[in-house]
Amino acid sequence: MTDAFRPGRRSLLATGATLALARPALHIRPARADKGEIVVSSWGGSRTKAMREVMWTPFEKATGIRVREDGPPEAARVKAMVDSGNVTWDVLDTDIPAILTMANNKLLEPIDYARIDKGKLGKIPEVLRQPYALGHLIYSFNIVYNTKSFPEGAQPRTWADVWDGAKFKGARSFPFRGGLSPQLEFALIADGVPVDKVYPLDIERAWKAMDRLRPLVTKWYANHAEAIQLLATGEVDICCTIGPRALVAKGEGAPVDVEFAGGKLAPDNWAIVKGTRNPDAVYEYLNFVIDGKVQAELAKRIPYGPSSQAAFEHLDAAAARQLNTSPENLAKQFWVDTAWWGAVAENGKTNNENQTERYARWMIRRG
Amino acid sequence: MSGAASMTGAARSGRGWRARPGLMVAGALVFCALVYLWPMLTLAGWAFHGDKAGWSFAELLRVAGDEDYHIAFATTFRIAVTTTLVSAFLGYPYAYLMATSSSRLAMLLAAAVMIPFWTSILARSLAWMILLGRKGIINEWLLGLGLIERPLPMLFNSLGVQIGMVHVLLPFMVLPIWAILVRVDQSLPRAARSLGASPARAFWHVTFPLSFPGLAAGCALVFMYAIGFYITPALLGGPSDLTVATLIEMVVRDLLDWPFGAMLSLLLLASVACVFAVGAVVAGAGRLTGAEHA
Repeated sequence: MTDAFRPGRRSLLATGATLALARPALHIRPARADKGEIVVSSWGGSRTKAMREVMWTPFEKATGIRVREDGPPEAARVKAMVDSGNVTWDVLDTDIPAILTMANNKLLEPIDYARIDKGKLGKIPEVLRQPYALGHLIYSFNIVYNTKSFPEGAQPRTWADVWDGAKFKGARSFPFRGGLSPQLEFALIADGVPVDKVYPLDIERAWKAMDRLRPLVTKWYANHAEAIQLLATGEVDICCTIGPRALVAKGEGAPVDVEFAGGKLAPDNWAIVKGTRNPDAVYEYLNFVIDGKVQAELAKRIPYGPSSQAAFEHLDAAAARQLNTSPENLAKQFWVDTAWWGAVAENGKTNNENQTERYARWMIRRG
Repeated sequence: MSGAASMTGAARSGRGWRARPGLMVAGALVFCALVYLWPMLTLAGWAFHGDKAGWSFAELLRVAGDEDYHIAFATTFRIAVTTTLVSAFLGYPYAYLMATSSSRLAMLLAAAVMIPFWTSILARSLAWMILLGRKGIINEWLLGLGLIERPLPMLFNSLGVQIGMVHVLLPFMVLPIWAILVRVDQSLPRAARSLGASPARAFWHVTFPLSFPGLAAGCALVFMYAIGFYITPALLGGPSDLTVATLIEMVVRDLLDWPFGAMLSLLLLASVACVFAVGAVVAGAGRLTGAEHA
């Protein structure tokens, strides 16, 4: 669910999926993780640029361990590395669905929390300290709307409003791309389930509510940049997308606004690739980058919430309001239940894998 | 297009290489084996072998028994066939115009078809949104003229996909047809005219049959590309435009079910091969590959 648009991979796949499958075999010049160096796989673009600036270069200066960047941190590439015994990445920066799938396929090392600084760890909500993932950058799915379509006082405030096509007229847009899990939590909340009773998800009830949403949606968007574009140009009126990104667009003058209430918080995480060659350096790295001050610097550059509450000691009030993990915004939203999505069902797949596939089937069936 | 290459390529130099075709063919074969055959065999291995020991048809049976995937295959073919037909109807006259106009105009026409080809796919899709959207230029214009009462749905449905894909793939239709048309001996249609044929008759009985290999090559290229498309359907399409390529991406990249993904890829390839086999029988094998130029 990481929002980075990935043109390289997409154009590659456009020429045929066989190429992508063949890629591991054609891996000619791998990024190497030697002693004294770790390879961090992230999403590129402004995100990687900001990480280089506030995390990697300072870390290199402080420890003498070099950080090499590679990416994107796709589960398929990690599988190719682990399967072939040629692991060239050490640390991944990726989202929970990918981590759950990789953990279920035994592609990750569990995180040894004994090796993480207790003080820094204490500032990170417990829900973000998962066996295979340490949350560091928080995105959130929120209600985002066009302010021209919905003037002050008539704006959608709840998921029930989003589902109510009679009271709130206008086109909706929700995320769908192969591999993105469906927004079943919002379907249940819109259907009247209290937020604290959402998990474990009543799957059938949620899909029935999705059926009701379906005619209201004109565009199932494929990447988050597209979602903001659709809203800003007035192609759609309400969107379920990454709230902080919309606030950046608002700051640039786009007629959009965000309702944080009822939003679903989800982390991008640090994860360790199975068979990493330099575990000591990896833990040194983790201890460096989960520091509140480092995270605050990152939050000034890219519009995602820092996981460490200590970061807000280094951010002013105006900046904090824009971030989904500020104490005020945090209280209005709920955390995605990683344990539920990662639970393995009878068929040996995680709930996330099963519901992701069902999402595609739901699209095909009712198209 | 190989014919076009040999025509121009017979450039008088480089005869040493040309004298030893065996060497060139061997190089090409090794290259193909390395970058094409080996990955394909690996793919087949995954599809029929999976992670388990022994060979099995389990993945094939999974696709065979799954109606959702059948629908996706049908959608993919519908989109590819429509794109090919529309591209042919637009591309042929365009190529004809290019081939018969002055060199300066031909260059302009070529640029017009090639420039979008070099533009990023995201920018192009965005441009279509500006043109075709609910609040896009065309709808605003039609509404302003009072021709329609509410915006026409031209985006996020099959129409949007077709417009976007034809736009992307048109160069692959125009260029092969043009390459053949410029080589058609203009004295032949002239001869037909002098024998009393109308311009239309001369075209249909002389020029068109001579240019058919170009049309066939264009159709083959467009169809092959269209069958594997997925970014344009994702950006401009609706939920009913879910293609097999999208499902392969999901299965391979997010579900890590490589045997199943490999099987889907192989089936897509096999179905393309079937289409070409049928085409070859119907049209004559030489013509379809473009090897036997009139």
